[in-house]
Amino acid sequence: MASPSSSARQSRATGGVGETLRESAVINLTGAVTMVVDDSPFALDLTTQALLGFGIKTRYTCNSGAEAMAILRDQPIDLLIVDCEMPDMDGYALVRWLRRSGLDPNAFAPVIMTAAHVRRSKVSEARDCGASFVVTKPFSASTLLERLVWIARDTRPFLEVGDYFGPDRRFRQGEAPGEERRSSLIRKAQFETERAAAQRGDA
Amino acid sequence: MAVITHAQRRSNLSQMIDKPGGVSIGVALTQARANIEAKRGEAAAVVDAQILALESITAPASPAELTARLEQAYHAANAVIDAASPFELDDLCRASAGLCDVIDAAQPGQAFDWRIVTVHARSLRLLQTLPLEETVARTQVLESLKQILTKKLPPKGSG
Repeated sequence: MASPSSSARQSRATGGVGETLRESAVINLTGAVTMVVDDSPFALDLTTQALLGFGIKTRYTCNSGAEAMAILRDQPIDLLIVDCEMPDMDGYALVRWLRRSGLDPNAFAPVIMTAAHVRRSKVSEARDCGASFVVTKPFSASTLLERLVWIARDTRPFLEVGDYFGPDRRFRQGEAPGEERRSSLIRKAQFETERAAAQRGDA
Repeated sequence: MAVITHAQRRSNLSQMIDKPGGVSIGVALTQARANIEAKRGEAAAVVDAQILALESITAPASPAELTARLEQAYHAANAVIDAASPFELDDLCRASAGLCDVIDAAQPGQAFDWRIVTVHARSLRLLQTLPLEETVARTQVLESLKQILTKKLPPKGSG
């Protein structure tokens, strides 16, 4: 185990999604209570082995959504990694259930979903189930670690919008590229234009 | 539509990541890659078993059987990607992903050309047995599969 110097500690491991991790940065996720859910024993083993390399000893390994639900009802976790494609209850259904479960703190736990292939019919599920991140394969240690560090630094609030409950899905900070399409911001801009016009008229 | 924003809370992960101790990113990646690499032999056995499973799926005798057989084939192809992708067996992953795409695009109640599954199973077996240095032959296999996908998949944006 490395003992981090204060200067290394001050330098953050990553800035944003997709940014490469700096090799010298130090992270400590040793104490993370982690659950991995995958119907494939081999894929589950690969994920736990990768986590072990990062210093995370997986506390719960589950082969099905039902098994995971039983544990999540009773035991608090810090991180959930779940496969999208599973028989009976798939990963999307598990995450949707978790977010709506009212279980505190588990309903707010960071969730990384993994997928070998995302069905076209499931793309909206992947977006709307409430996961913090969906990682599509090829599986690599660097991608998994990059996403892990990112969600550990994730400051997005949790939102309830209609059927959705999960982290704010808007990643981008600041101005949107191209024409603004967000209705709330369009209405705000219209209001401000009208107010400015009215003030000019008054003056 | 009403939007309820929950008070921002720091996850346990965010509280522990900067605590003293831990491991550098470089060391973490080296350890994780070594742990994964130790599974290479097991991965080859899983890939072999899943290709065998794919080869063993018989063509459906009736439309009623089609959905279940396609699901079996989808899961086998999916499992090949699971096992092959961490070991840079990109050709196997590409061929399997193509089969997943075709099965995913199959419309319920419509006929499906089962030869697509058979050809993919044979191609996967060929890619698995061909030496890695046989790049020309491997490319040819992938090109043939690509032609099938071009014919059978709906154009992008139509779904």
